[in-house]
Amino acid sequence: MAAWKDLFGFGKEKGIVIGSPIEGEACSLDNVKDATFSERILGEGIAIIPRKGRVVAPVDGRIAVMFETGHAVSLISEQGTEILIHIGLDTVNLKGKYFTPKIKVNDKVKAGDLLLEFDMDKIKEAGYDLITPIVICNTANYSEIKPYPGFVSELGKILVIKK
Amino acid sequence: MREFSYVVNDELGIHARPAGMLVKATSKYKCTIKVLKGIAEVDAKSILGIMGLGVKKGEEIKLRFDGTDEAEASEAIRALLKETL
Repeated sequence: MAAWKDLFGFGKEKGIVIGSPIEGEACSLDNVKDATFSERILGEGIAIIPRKGRVVAPVDGRIAVMFETGHAVSLISEQGTEILIHIGLDTVNLKGKYFTPKIKVNDKVKAGDLLLEFDMDKIKEAGYDLITPIVICNTANYSEIKPYPGFVSELGKILVIKK
Repeated sequence: MREFSYVVNDELGIHARPAGMLVKATSKYKCTIKVLKGIAEVDAKSILGIMGLGVKKGEEIKLRFDGTDEAEASEAIRALLKETL
């Protein structure tokens, strides 16, 4: 892996690559119709318009918060990056309906491990926007957080962050 | 050092948005600010820390301020909690 990275010059970039926890269309947080995210109150990041109701661990790390309502999960990567994945907007109001957590707080996870599933159709029918902000809660610790918009598969590159 | 207790009145407790608003406010002050719930104690300037407490409606939290601007900070944060949570 290291040799492959060097070959393409990625090794020199010294950025931490964050993979997508969800398959879908990645876009700027500016497009999120919730000021908490568009104004970066919870941190810099990117948003995904999901195409599948599955959330996987974007990096190796530990589950820091698993909301009882299942609508959001956060993890701390092995390098100390704090990542929040918030499925949909105002979905806290669903009080757990249509979300199925697969892990619990303090679990150690590997990139690609299933964290939770959500019923896209039901959540949409209930009138919620499914756009899913993925934010770096300790943004202040980094000099740069660069989003990579466009279609992504699970674990496809969405953010590169630099110390 | 200053501290006060507060019982969360919001139906949904301290979820992502209120945690963000609280950190935005606490980060303006130099003093160290802690949020305590039961035996748990977290940095009030950490979004993940506050969300991790999982504070629900009716639960009591304590806020503790320590540093040069602690008086100003505790008044401002108390007002914010009353207004929003």
